[in-house]
Amino acid sequence: MAHHISKKEVILEIKNLKVNFTTYRGIVKALNHVNLKLYAHEVLGLVGESGCGKSVTALTIVNLLPENAQVVDGQIIFKGEDLLKKSKEELRFIRASEIASIFQDPMTFLNPVLTIGEQLKEVFMLNKEALKQAIVKKKVLKRKLSYSDFLSLKKEANDVPIDNINVSKKDIKEIVKDLCIEVLKIVKLPDPERILHQYPFELSGGMRQRCMIAMALARRPSILLADEITTALDVTIQAQILHLIKELRDIIDASILLITHDIAVAAEVADRIAVMYAGDVVEVASSIDIFKNTLHPYTKMLMKSIPIIGKLTEKLEFIPGTVPDLVNPPSGCRFHPRCPYAKEKCKTDTPEIKEVAKDHEVACHLY
Amino acid sequence: MTASRFRRSEWEARIADLKFTLYFLRKNSLVISGLIMASFFIILALIANYIIDPSLAYEFDISRKLIWNNPIINFGTSSTISYTNEIFLLGTDIYGRDLLKMIILAIPLDMYVAFIITVGAAIFGVLLGAIAGYAGGKIDEILLRITDIFLAFPGIVLALVFAAMFGRTIENVMLAVLLVWWPPYVRLMRAQVLSEKEKLYVEALKALGASPFRILFKHILPNSIYPILVQMTLDYGGVILTFSALMFLGFSPSPALPELGNLASQGYFHIFDAPWLLIFPGLVIVVIALAFNLVGDGLRDALDPRLRR
Amino acid sequence: MKLYEYIIRRIILMFFVLLGVSIIVFYLCRGFPTAFAPWTPYIHGKMTAEQIQEVIKSHGFDKPLYIQYFYWLKDILSGEWGYTGTWAQHLPANRVFFDRFPYTVELAIAATILTVIIGIPLGIISAIKSNKLPDHISRIIALTGYSTPSYWFGFVLQLVFFFYFSRWGLPYLPSSGAVSSHLIGRVPTITGIPILDGVLACDLEYAWDAFLHLILPSFTLSFISLGFLARIVRASMLEVLRQDYIIMARSKGLKERIVIYKHALRNAMIPAVTLTGMFFASLLGGAMISEYVFAWPGVGQAAVQAVFQGDSNFLLLYSLVLAGVIVIANLIVDILYTFLDPRIKY
Repeated sequence: MAHHISKKEVILEIKNLKVNFTTYRGIVKALNHVNLKLYAHEVLGLVGESGCGKSVTALTIVNLLPENAQVVDGQIIFKGEDLLKKSKEELRFIRASEIASIFQDPMTFLNPVLTIGEQLKEVFMLNKEALKQAIVKKKVLKRKLSYSDFLSLKKEANDVPIDNINVSKKDIKEIVKDLCIEVLKIVKLPDPERILHQYPFELSGGMRQRCMIAMALARRPSILLADEITTALDVTIQAQILHLIKELRDIIDASILLITHDIAVAAEVADRIAVMYAGDVVEVASSIDIFKNTLHPYTKMLMKSIPIIGKLTEKLEFIPGTVPDLVNPPSGCRFHPRCPYAKEKCKTDTPEIKEVAKDHEVACHLY
Repeated sequence: MTASRFRRSEWEARIADLKFTLYFLRKNSLVISGLIMASFFIILALIANYIIDPSLAYEFDISRKLIWNNPIINFGTSSTISYTNEIFLLGTDIYGRDLLKMIILAIPLDMYVAFIITVGAAIFGVLLGAIAGYAGGKIDEILLRITDIFLAFPGIVLALVFAAMFGRTIENVMLAVLLVWWPPYVRLMRAQVLSEKEKLYVEALKALGASPFRILFKHILPNSIYPILVQMTLDYGGVILTFSALMFLGFSPSPALPELGNLASQGYFHIFDAPWLLIFPGLVIVVIALAFNLVGDGLRDALDPRLRR
Repeated sequence: MKLYEYIIRRIILMFFVLLGVSIIVFYLCRGFPTAFAPWTPYIHGKMTAEQIQEVIKSHGFDKPLYIQYFYWLKDILSGEWGYTGTWAQHLPANRVFFDRFPYTVELAIAATILTVIIGIPLGIISAIKSNKLPDHISRIIALTGYSTPSYWFGFVLQLVFFFYFSRWGLPYLPSSGAVSSHLIGRVPTITGIPILDGVLACDLEYAWDAFLHLILPSFTLSFISLGFLARIVRASMLEVLRQDYIIMARSKGLKERIVIYKHALRNAMIPAVTLTGMFFASLLGGAMISEYVFAWPGVGQAAVQAVFQGDSNFLLLYSLVLAGVIVIANLIVDILYTFLDPRIKY
């Protein structure tokens, strides 16, 4: 399940991210100071209750926040550069080729009046250079390209000379169609040719979600942001999609940030799990350690409140209190009103996240 | 006991809703200016008959007809020779009356008439729509078809035909215009009733034994009132336009009636030698209609559930 | 149900609507005590009392109203729409109507094109830059247009572009009619639409003249409605732009231009299409006031005169055609829906 974590390359680092939203009721301090590291080739699960800021974090990375949001402070370092300082156009380019997102409800996230084929083709058409290279490669290999061929093109890009090649529109149409079918095959969709002509409402929920994943794969991303991708599906389909993600992590080169409110889902697929609460990352550890050696009080209570099927319990455990109002969040550690171990210090000082055991970080004054 | 507690929290919810709406409105400067203009005209309409003697409308003085001696604007037409020392800010009309005074007298008439028509059309349409929506089935179908037939005509045509048939009095023209403006309310109210009907509180009320009338008028109606009010504000301008258009075309009971469309119709025959006759009454209509349309448009934006956060 | 079943159902419904309309108009025209004598179009001053009685009898005017209605139904089913009054030289009603109809069509097409060309971009800009300056400006333009009486605006345009422009020595636009009087009849009437006839006859001077005459009236008509269209486009664009699939489209890294025009517009256009269809249909009934103001020889102008003369024959034909046009336009728009939005099936 989980891979052994060694000192690997950090592909994305979020430092002290602080994001506010201006609303009718006041300023919502959605992200307090989020610190997160994403390593290459890993699956990182980002877990937390609704409203804790997980989706906001993902949206901030790719600059898709709504108009009333402001990034107040922080840095997001990707490939050595701070994404928050980049221009809109540069970020658009990054979304098109480096960081791909998959969202929660494929019914509302797919355009109802365009066919799947249309919505998939336009992703490929964003990168004409890659298409030209693919056409050349196809001629060289004398067969249709597979997805792994297409992936490897990214690395060999400079080896494939395209300057003097003239490609016709027909060539482009053809290669795009080939690639669409390939990528639909990768996500295990039956009869890809037919699906290209269908509309989102003609497919089932699970199939739509696979299409969304295909649209992400089409961009050959280095990072995949999966925001609650199983939440809108029923349990059996959930299992299928998670299975797909697990397979994908071996096929594609990317790191996956899997955002979910269900820690069990994260445990299925993720190498490491980060727990968020009310705009802060409170604990990060490998998926084994986080269960075996839970440190943060919130995480502990989260674990206890998951009913284990088959084990008799007297009553359902729950975390007392309610999720804090982010317009007037609690001072100091935002969890202190609900924390059974809260001390005076917790009301005044916000705990910094630090490594307290091997590859295990916590933000709590207990440590 | 329980009913009144229920009602109190209903009202609390409504007040909170209202505060939210006001927040939206305050942010919109166009709505504010519309409100200011509309209030200005309402006040003007209320006091007009006191600041200007209404009988002036029937004091004709042919020797003073078609004069333009406002020093600021020059229309370049021949009737600019001044026969008297009196400065007519907006010129005189073909009966020798001071156009400015006539316009001021006309404002209350137009605004009052439009108000009656709008309210009347709304009441009528809302009633029909409520019945159609709540009763459903055959009654609904029939009412809808009738409404469709009325909607199948552009308003002016129908109003014209009605007015021609009814005869040339103000009341008849009002009726003609009203008959054109009620269909939108039927649709509106029916849609509201249809969606409210499915809600839980209606089930609860039915279980408590409330009669359909009570449910409709004490509960569903107040919850649906917003879009109807918005529609009324938006329609107000249109009603003034339609009414004055009919007057313009000649349905006025008397050619000297101080009414904005009627005043403008004089201009039709003197368009090139006395353009002020047409320009100023029409301009006033534009401003009044614009004021109410601004308010209505802003209200509609503020109340649109999809645009609210 | 299948598409053609749906169409057939709608057409049957249309007949009922037309029937209803005809009954209402019939009663209005002939049933009201203040109505003008319905046999007026059939008599002229020189008739004797007996001849007048003859006319009354032969058309059934002395019978009760509902019997008159059946007489009338019988007449129209055999293509006999009756004659018009003095105002139209006693010509058969359908000839008067269909002679004038192409002029109204020309005006309707021109006004609709103008409205769409100006209104839709205005709405899109308002939506993209909502609550900023372009939105406020477009809102003011839209609402002003909506608040303007067409007779006033038409005249103001005439005043400026015809009267004052010629006074000031500027090239000016004609203020009335569809074609300059000295050019009437110069070109064979093929379609009846002046510009088309001019082009078909390769008479460019004629076509250009017709075009110039078209400018002011069509602009008057469109100014009033383009605001409304812009507001509808704005509202539906705003709603679409908040949808999740727009976030998805942006997350794909698509150019903003593509997000707006390909993804958003396709969804937002649907109400705009309905509106444009209905606008065009209602214009086909003749924008009565604008035709009156510009002395445009269309059916609207004729209808105004018919109303004042109490000419029930013309009015009945006019209202039935108008109602039919609107119902058909409704149907066409609904069918168009199925192409625009693949989710809709009848």
